[in-house]
Amino acid sequence: MSAGNKQVISREGSTDIHGQTAGSKAVKYILITLSAAFLFVMLVMPLITVIYEAFRKGIVPYLEAISDPDTISALLLTLEATVIAVVINTVFGLFAAWAISKFRFHGKKLLVTLIDLPVTVSPIIAGLIFVLTFGRQSAIYPFLESIDFMVVYAVPGIILATVFVTFPFISREILPVLEAQGTDEEEAAALMGTKGFTIFRRITLPHIKWALLYGIVLCAARAMGEFGAVSVLSGHLRGKTVTLPLQVEILFGDNKFMPAFAVSSILVVLAVVILILRSIVEYIGKRRGEK
Amino acid sequence: MYIELKNIDKSYGDFKASDNVNFEIEKGRLVALLGPSGSGKTTILRMIAGLERPDSGEIIIDGKVVNDIPASERGIGFVFQSYALFRYMTVFDNIAFGLKVRKMNKAAIKERVTELIKLIGLEGFENRYPSQLSGGQRQRVAFARALAPNPQVLLLDEPFAAIDAKVRQELRRWLKDMIHKLGVTGIFVTHDQDEAIEVSDEIIVTNKGRVEQIGAPIDIYRKPATAFTSAFFGVTSELADYKSFKSFDEVDEYDRAIVRPEFVKITKKSEVQKYKSSAVEGRVETVEFRGNSIEITVSCNGSRFSARRSLDDPAVEVGETVDVFIYRIFITRGDSVKLLTNNALREETVVI
Amino acid sequence: MGVTLALLSIMVVIPLASLVVFTAKMDFSDIIKVITRPRVVASFEVTLLTAFIASVINAVMGVILAWVLVRYNFPGKRILDGMIELPFALPTAVAGISLTSLYADSGWIGGIFAKIGIKIAYTRIGITIALIFIGIPFVVRTVQPVLEKLDPLYEEAAGILGASRTLTFRKVILPELLPAVFTGFGLAFGRCLGEYGSVVFIAGNQPYETEITPLIIMSELQEYDYSSATAIALVMLAAAFLILFLVNLIQIRNSKILKGGH
Repeated sequence: MSAGNKQVISREGSTDIHGQTAGSKAVKYILITLSAAFLFVMLVMPLITVIYEAFRKGIVPYLEAISDPDTISALLLTLEATVIAVVINTVFGLFAAWAISKFRFHGKKLLVTLIDLPVTVSPIIAGLIFVLTFGRQSAIYPFLESIDFMVVYAVPGIILATVFVTFPFISREILPVLEAQGTDEEEAAALMGTKGFTIFRRITLPHIKWALLYGIVLCAARAMGEFGAVSVLSGHLRGKTVTLPLQVEILFGDNKFMPAFAVSSILVVLAVVILILRSIVEYIGKRRGEK
Repeated sequence: MYIELKNIDKSYGDFKASDNVNFEIEKGRLVALLGPSGSGKTTILRMIAGLERPDSGEIIIDGKVVNDIPASERGIGFVFQSYALFRYMTVFDNIAFGLKVRKMNKAAIKERVTELIKLIGLEGFENRYPSQLSGGQRQRVAFARALAPNPQVLLLDEPFAAIDAKVRQELRRWLKDMIHKLGVTGIFVTHDQDEAIEVSDEIIVTNKGRVEQIGAPIDIYRKPATAFTSAFFGVTSELADYKSFKSFDEVDEYDRAIVRPEFVKITKKSEVQKYKSSAVEGRVETVEFRGNSIEITVSCNGSRFSARRSLDDPAVEVGETVDVFIYRIFITRGDSVKLLTNNALREETVVI
Repeated sequence: MGVTLALLSIMVVIPLASLVVFTAKMDFSDIIKVITRPRVVASFEVTLLTAFIASVINAVMGVILAWVLVRYNFPGKRILDGMIELPFALPTAVAGISLTSLYADSGWIGGIFAKIGIKIAYTRIGITIALIFIGIPFVVRTVQPVLEKLDPLYEEAAGILGASRTLTFRKVILPELLPAVFTGFGLAFGRCLGEYGSVVFIAGNQPYETEITPLIIMSELQEYDYSSATAIALVMLAAAFLILFLVNLIQIRNSKILKGGH
C-alpha cells in the first residue's frame, strides 16, 4: 500500500459513501448535544454543587470548616494511607508484573485472577474479610491483643483496606507493556554480563515508565477516595481513624452540610488534578509510544 | 463507451493522486489499472466506485454522469484488497447482504445466494464465518458478495495481493473466465505486470497520477509509448553507452538506453552465429537457473544487463568470454521513447 | 517471585481464606435462613433492579459517547473525553452527598422534578442515578478502542452494496461493538451491585424500599453479627463471579468467530 492509499482510507474519506445529507448532519449534532448534556448533568453539575454548597456561606466559614482539627487529622490520615498504598502497590506491581511476564510457571492464570480479585469484590466485602481475619472472633485476635496491635477500628485496618482496594492498579498497567516487549532485550543484556538490577534500571524501566506513572496516579486517586472498605474497618473514631471521605460522611450525617461540602471540595480539587495529570501522562505516553 | 473518465483531478493536500486522467472502457472488457505504488491507480478505482470524489472532471457510467450519485446507488460491485468480509456474518449472510438491503423476498435471496455459492464452488461452506476460510475462499466469497446484486461494473482492488503464489495462478484464470462469462465490465488494480498481462484485455498504465498508456497487453509490451512504460515493463537493464554497441543508428540526444533480456543474444565462442560482425565481446558475471530458462548477466562495454538462453543450449560459465548481440534498444528522451533496431537485422531483410 | 507471593498472601489470600474458614464453621441452614429474610430478599431485589437499569442506560449512553468521541470532531472534545474518568477519580462519598443535594426536592434538578410530583432522592430512582454516575466510564472505555480500530472498509463495503447509514450501523458496526458493550455492561453491573459510598446517601435506606444489600452487610457488621454479614456477602460474591463468568463466555465465543477454528 502506498502513502497515497493510506490517505485515501481515512475516516474523512468514508463520509463520501452516502454523501453529507441534512439527515446525517442532524444526527451528528443530536448525538453530540445528547452526550454533552448527559455528561453535564451527571458529572459537571455534581462538581458545581460541591463548590457552590462549600462557598454558600462565604469564604470565612469555608476556611473555618477546612481548618477544623478533625478535618486536618483526617487529611493527614488520608495522605498517610495513600502514600503507603502507593509505595506497597508499586513494589508489588513491579515484582508481580515482572514475574508474570518474564517467567513461565504453573498457576500463572490463578495468580493473575487473585491479583485482580480486590477490584471485583464490593468494598464492603473487602472490609468484611479483614474484620473476619483480624477481628474479635479471629484465631489470631488473642495474639494481636497480647502485643497490643489493633487492626479493626484502628489505623492499620484503614491502611490495609486502602492497600487492598488498590492492589492490582499498578501491576495491571505495567503488565501489558512488559508482555508486549518480551524478554529479548533483557536476555541480550544478561548475556553481556549485566547484573539483574542494572538490567531492570537501564532496560526495563525506560519501557514501563509511563505505564508505571499512570498506575501510580490511578492508585493514588482510588486510595484517597476509598470509602466502603475503610468505613467498615474505621469505627469512626473522630480525630483518630477518620479519613477525609469518612469525615464527609460524618459531617453530612450530622446535618453540617456546608462543612461536609467544604471538605468535599478538597477532594474534588484533588480529583480534577488527578484527571488532568492522567490526561497528560496518557498523552505523553502515547506520543512516546508512537515514536 | 460504457465507462468514461474525463479530465479527472484529485489531490490530497500537496499530493496529486490524479492529474488530468482520461480514459474510456468498453462494455464487457476486463481492464487492468497498472502502476507502481503511489501512482494513483487505487484512487481512480475508488473514484469510479464513489468512495472518493474527484476535485474536478466527470465520471460517466452508461452515459450518465455519476459524480453526484453516492456509492450506494451507482450499481457497482467492489472487491476490496483485504476483502472486508463482515466478520460477524456467515458466508451466506455476507453474500445475501446486498440483496437483503434491497428488500428482496427471502426465497429469492436464498435462490440467488445458492446459485452464487455454486458458482464460486463453496457448497457446504454457507454457515462458516470468514475466519474459518482460506485466503482464496475468502476472495471468492468477496467476489460473490460483490456480484450478488447483479452490478454491471465490478471493481477489484489488488484482488490477488493477499493470496499465496500457487493459488494466485488458479484464481487469476478463474476470475478472467468468470467475468467474461457473466458479461460484466471489470476494472482491477494491480502493481504486478505479469498479472495485468495475464488477466486483462486491456491495460491502463498509471504513473504519478497520470495515465501513461492504454492498450492491449501485447501492444504495450511491444510498443511502449512513453519512457516510463518502456522501463516499467519486462525485466529492464540500462546501457551506459549504447553507441559502443555495433550497427545502431546514432541518436544525438537521449536520456536512457534500455534493453530487455529478449533483446539480447548471447553466443559462446564455439557456437556458430549469424551476426558475428555486429556482436561485441562480454564477460559472463552470473548464471542462474530460472525454471524454464537460464538467466545470464553479462558485463559488456561498461554496462551490466541480462539475457536468457535456452536450457538446451550448451552451458556458459561465470567468467567466460562470450559474444553479445543486441537486437533492439529503447531510447528515451523526456517522456518519449523510440525503438532502435539493429541495422544488421535490416540488412538481412534486404538481402533476402 | 518471593515478594510477589508474600504480598499477595498477606493482602489477598489470607483474608480470603479467613472468609472460607468462617463460612465453613457456619451451618448451611443458618445461611439459608439469613439470606431468605424478607428484608434481605427485598435488598437483593432493590440492588439487582437498580444496578440493572443503571447499567442498561450506561450501555446505551456508553455507545453514543464512544461514537461521538471517535467519529466526530467538535470544540471541547478533549475535555469531554477527559471528563469520562471523573467517577473513578472522585471519591464515592463526595459523589454521594453531591448527587443527594442535587436531586433532593430542594436541589437544582430534584426541585424541577418535585414540581411535577416525581421524587428522586431517597427513592429507587435516586439509587439508579447514583449507579449511573458510578458506571459511566465502563462501557465508553471498552467500546472506544474497538470503534477506533474498526476498519472503515467494512462501512465502505456495506455502502457500496447499497446499505443506508442506519442499516450499516445496525448490521455491520453494531455486531463489531457488541462484545465490547457486553463486557463493559458486565463490568459496570458488577461494580454497581457492590457500590456503597455513592448510593448510601441518596438511597434513604428505607427497609424493603430503598435499602441496598451492601448497606445490610454494613449494619450487620456494626451489630457484630459477623455470621449474617458473611452469609449475605457470599450471595453477592456468587453474583459477582457469575457476571465475570458470563463476560468471559461472551469473549470466548467472540474470539471463536474472529479467529477461526471449526
